[in-house]
This record gives sequence, C-alpha cells and structure tokens, in this order.
Amino acid sequence: MKNIFLKTQYDADKRGHFKKYGGRYVPEMLIPALENLEKSYYEARKDPKFTQELMELFQNYSGRPTPLYFAKNFSEHLGGAKIFLKQEGLNHTGAHKINHCLGQALLALRMGKTRLIAETGAGQHGLATATVAAKFGMKCTVYMGKVDYERQRPNVFWMERLGAEVIPVMHGTQRLKDAVTATLQDWIANVDDTHYLLGSALGPHPYPSMVRDFQTIVGLEVKQQLKENYGINKPDVIIACVGGGSNAIGIFNPYLEDKNVRLIGVEAGGKGIGTVGNHAARLQKNPKVGVVEGYKSYFLQDKDGQVQNTHSISAGLDYAGIGPEHALLWEKKRVEYNYVVDKEVIEAFNLLARKEGIIAALESCHAVAYAMKLAPKLSSKKNIVINLSGRGDKDIFIVADALKDKKWKEFIKNKSREKN
Amino acid sequence: MVSIQQQLQKIKKENRLGIMTHIVVGYPSLKESEKIIQTMADAGVDFIELQIPFSDPMADGPTIMQANRHALQNKTKVKDAFGLMKKMSGKISIPLLFMGYFNTIFNYGVERFCREAMECGCSGLIFPDIPLEEEAKEHFLKFAKKYNLSNIRVLSPASTPERIKKNAEVADGFLYFVGRKGTTGAKTKLDEALNCNLEKIKKYVKIPVAVGFGISETKHIKSLIGKAEVAVIGSAVLDRYAKAGIGKELEGVKKFLKLLINSASYKKPTR
Repeated sequence: MKNIFLKTQYDADKRGHFKKYGGRYVPEMLIPALENLEKSYYEARKDPKFTQELMELFQNYSGRPTPLYFAKNFSEHLGGAKIFLKQEGLNHTGAHKINHCLGQALLALRMGKTRLIAETGAGQHGLATATVAAKFGMKCTVYMGKVDYERQRPNVFWMERLGAEVIPVMHGTQRLKDAVTATLQDWIANVDDTHYLLGSALGPHPYPSMVRDFQTIVGLEVKQQLKENYGINKPDVIIACVGGGSNAIGIFNPYLEDKNVRLIGVEAGGKGIGTVGNHAARLQKNPKVGVVEGYKSYFLQDKDGQVQNTHSISAGLDYAGIGPEHALLWEKKRVEYNYVVDKEVIEAFNLLARKEGIIAALESCHAVAYAMKLAPKLSSKKNIVINLSGRGDKDIFIVADALKDKKWKEFIKNKSREKN
Repeated sequence: MVSIQQQLQKIKKENRLGIMTHIVVGYPSLKESEKIIQTMADAGVDFIELQIPFSDPMADGPTIMQANRHALQNKTKVKDAFGLMKKMSGKISIPLLFMGYFNTIFNYGVERFCREAMECGCSGLIFPDIPLEEEAKEHFLKFAKKYNLSNIRVLSPASTPERIKKNAEVADGFLYFVGRKGTTGAKTKLDEALNCNLEKIKKYVKIPVAVGFGISETKHIKSLIGKAEVAVIGSAVLDRYAKAGIGKELEGVKKFLKLLINSASYKKPTR
C-alpha cells in the first residue's frame, strides 16, 4: 500500500502556515468546523484503514492507477525530449479531481456529515463531488459562477443527473472565486451536517495540505510507472497546469525534495498578461500577497486589495488566487511558474489530438503548450512528464467556438430549432 | 466625541438596549453614505459601523454583498472610507467603527491602517476574518491596542466554550455575537436557540454583548432586552433604504430606526 502522507521541507506547520503563506483566516463561526476537520484529517493520516479504504476506491471505483503513456509521435514531432503523459483524464469522471473528492468524502463520513457542498470552475470538481455524493448517499449542492455555469452546461447537466443541486452564483465576477465565497457562506449557515468539499489545494487550513495529500497518489504512481514500465529512475522535468494548484501539487509532491527534477507550473495567460482582467497569471508580474477566502497567498488584486477579474479559455484556471504551498514553492524557487496564452492552448489541444489521439482538457493543454516550447530545446535523452489532469470532452463547445467550426454552429442552430 | 466605553455607560444609565447600525461606504454613493450616517445619528443610534467595501465579503449576505459590489463599481477606495470617517467623526458625537475584511488592512499595512483609523476618529474595528491564531503573524490586536481602537471580537452560535474564553480574553469595548448561523441579512425569525446561546456567551464574556444578524423588527429588539446590551441592525436598514420611494430614502430610514429605538427601552411603554 502506498503512503500518500509524505513529509517535505515545504510542508505547513501545525497551524497550516507554509512559512508566511496559508493559515486560517476565517470568521469565528467556521473555526469549530475547520478544527473538527483538521482533527479527523490528522486521525485519518494515522489510520492505515483509512488509506486502505481510499486505495481500494482509487483502484476499483476510479480506475487507478491511471496510465503513464509515452507520447512517441508527439515527442518525435517536437524533436527533443521524450514526453510522457500522466493520463489523469482516464479517471472516473474524467479528471484528477476525483482523487481528493474520494478522500474528503471518506473524511466527511468519518465526521458523520450527511451533505456535501462544493464550488466548481470548469465543473470537473463539481462533477466529481456530485459523483461521490451519489455513491455515498449524501446530499449535494454545487456552486458555480454564472459565467462558468453557462459555458460548462454539459457538466451542469451531468451534475444534476447525479442528483446534485447546482446553483449559479450571480454575485461578484460570477466566476470560481465567487463560487468559493458562496460555498463558504452555505457552510457558515449549515455547518452542522455539511462538509465543504473544497476543490483545490487552497482555502483555510487544513485544506491545502489535505487536498495535496489526496492528490499525491499521482506523483507516486508516476515514480513507480517510470521505473517499472520504462526503466527511468526519475524524470528530468515535470510540467503541470496551475489554477488553484491541486493537480500540480499532487504530481510535484513526491519530487519536491529531489532538486534534480525540474518542476514547472503553467498559469493561464489568457489573452495576454499585459492587461488586468485578461488573464489568470498570478506569479508573473510583481505578484502581490493577500488574504482572501481564508488563506494567505498571491492574488491578482489592486492597490486596495480588491480581487481583480480574471480570464482564461479554461474555466478551471480562471481564478485570481493560487494555493499557499505554491506561493512558498515560488518564493523558494523550487518550482518555476510560467504561462501560456489561450491561442497556444488551442494549438496544443489540436496537436495532441492529431498526434496521439488524445483529447485533453483545456486546463491540461496549458501544460502541453508549455512542453511544446520546452521539449525542442532539450536532448532526446531527457524525459518530460506532463500531468494531463483531465480529458477534454467537456470543452466541446469552447473548442468548437475557438476553432470557429461552421458545421458545429449549424448543428447547434438546428438543435435549437428542433420542436419538442 | 464620546468613546465606546462612555456610550455603553450612557446606554446602561438610560436603562435601554443600545443600537448599532451599519452602512457600506460608497453605497449608494459617498455623498449619500454621509447623509445616511447623519440620519442614523439624528435618529439616535449609539454606534455606526462603516463597512469598507471589499470584493469578496465572505461573511455578508446578499443585501450587503450587493452594496459592496455597488460601492466598488462606484470606484470607492479605502482612502474614501478614511475620508468619510474623518468627516463624520468631526460632525457627530457617537462612536464610529470600521467594519471590513482583513485583506484591506493587510494591504494597507496593519500599523498604518490602525494609526490612520485613529487619526480619523475611528473608535473600533470589526474585522471578522482575522482569528486570534493569526495574531503572531499579523499583530492586529497589538496595533489596534496601540492606537486605542477597540478590537471587537465576533463570536457565533458555533463557538465552543474554549473559543469563547479565548476571545473573551482579548475582547475590548463590546463583543459582537452573531445571533444565528449564516451570513448577514434580515430574517423574520430570529434563531430560536439565541437565548440559550447568549447565556453560553454571557457565562464567559464580562463586557457588553452586541447581537447582530437578522434584526429587522421591533419584536426582535424587544426579545433582546435584558439579555444583551446592544442590538445591531445591518441589512434591514439597507433594505428599508432600497424600498423607500425615490427622494424619501432618508426619511424612511429615520422612521424605521426611530421605531426600533423606541422599542429598545427597558421601561414598558405607557399606553
């Protein structure tokens, strides 16, 4: 059985501080719930039965281990380093999000909670939450910014089929951060029977550490698969997209102490990082520390600390903050944080589909796009692992729009004309 | 200007429940905020919270959230809040407090914020998202104290005896008790467990207690008499303001507040 609870020098202290980042900046009414969650998380860490149960669910319910696939055509096309894809999109529900959802659902059950609530951006986390809620017979409410609610209709539809109530959030920028606020507010009101199943490695302690631990399985599998399937001791580079940072921290975590493995997080450059509101790249230009949504980290914010609008072609990266451990990893220069723009993401999406027959989520295509720039500069003896955090089925409308696909447009038009 | 302590003593002497009201700086406009504060003071409230608008006000319900958003769309800045505080504290005698979220203070610089708040005539700070555990890093309590600002601690029905004790140790002025679980917003029915929770709080808290969240009717005020020292009326005033006819907003607010204030006396009204 794998131990997912690793220790690294970048871990949070007892109060959830990753040095100066993280912490628990919440109103008093949430403190008892967070203390309770922290307690059961620490107990679960020490309980082999918990890990065993989680591993069984990973294997039998989610389909882990997900493959580590050598993308030979893609690598040869780029002409440089060998590229391996960690196929998290082959998980049940289509993305890595199921990992921390299963972990948190087990914790919620341990705490005697009967209702799960979650925020979601792309809808992948909401979908995974609705899925585990259905599986464990719990009630479920998912909050989604109205902008995302509209552009990710397929996921909303599936969540509803799974029995979840999906509420579009009308306030603020109507995106992920506003969905977080709405979910926190629901939690404040219903803290007795409800667990807030937070969808990334951020928020108040213990979420950043807990979500990281449940995602660490990704990096652990990569380690084993590289060795057993390809005879590679360790990768030279690992690349992952970073919104809140859950998939990235999961694949990075087992390699944090090994300085020989270059770790790269890729942020959403949107339409370009020159203009506020056009991107979600928090760590590129004069990053600014703030305290928002219960944790201290870098946020896109103005002089007064007002959180700024963001944009990304991928709803899952369209977020103004970044998990606190990433803030520390950036400060310590352990992880490099770069960005790619929407246009490059679509190019990456197309190329990967054509060369490997893999339709990847637009979020994950950020990592692919960066690898396309990096791989040709490296020798063929070097190995790059990309965390392909999700599959792209959900993005059909956005990709069709971005490619200005005429037949698709016609199809939509005809569909809407059909009589009921 | 009278201090929070003096105002609390006055309330006690007058044998009544104190009233604290709330505005969002810049909602519906800075000029109007000024007039609303003046109207509240004229109506006879005891304290007024000036909320500094924030983009992600996690403890606020729809009414106040909307007001925050509106104020930010009006381009209300933190310095506008200081300006308003300075102007109004010079005009009216009751204590004015800043309410808001910690990111505002953090960005401004904790010491600088506290110093300038004091210089503008602010009496106290209500910032619900900075718990005691972060004090070692932020020195929020330390600087509030240094600049003579009452640090109003906020507790809720979910607070355990341990949390109540911890907060009671550093609470200053009065303690703000969230009367029910959930965010701010006028509700017709106050939490039924309120009485029991207030007793729990009173066991550990020796300073006056203000109860907020959900107070919108005279019967709510009456139900608090003898159990708490101050009633907080937040979104109900905003709702009243929004519902009043154009040009009659301030009059509507005044009428509403007078009604509530009149019901706050311990003495039974003569028939």
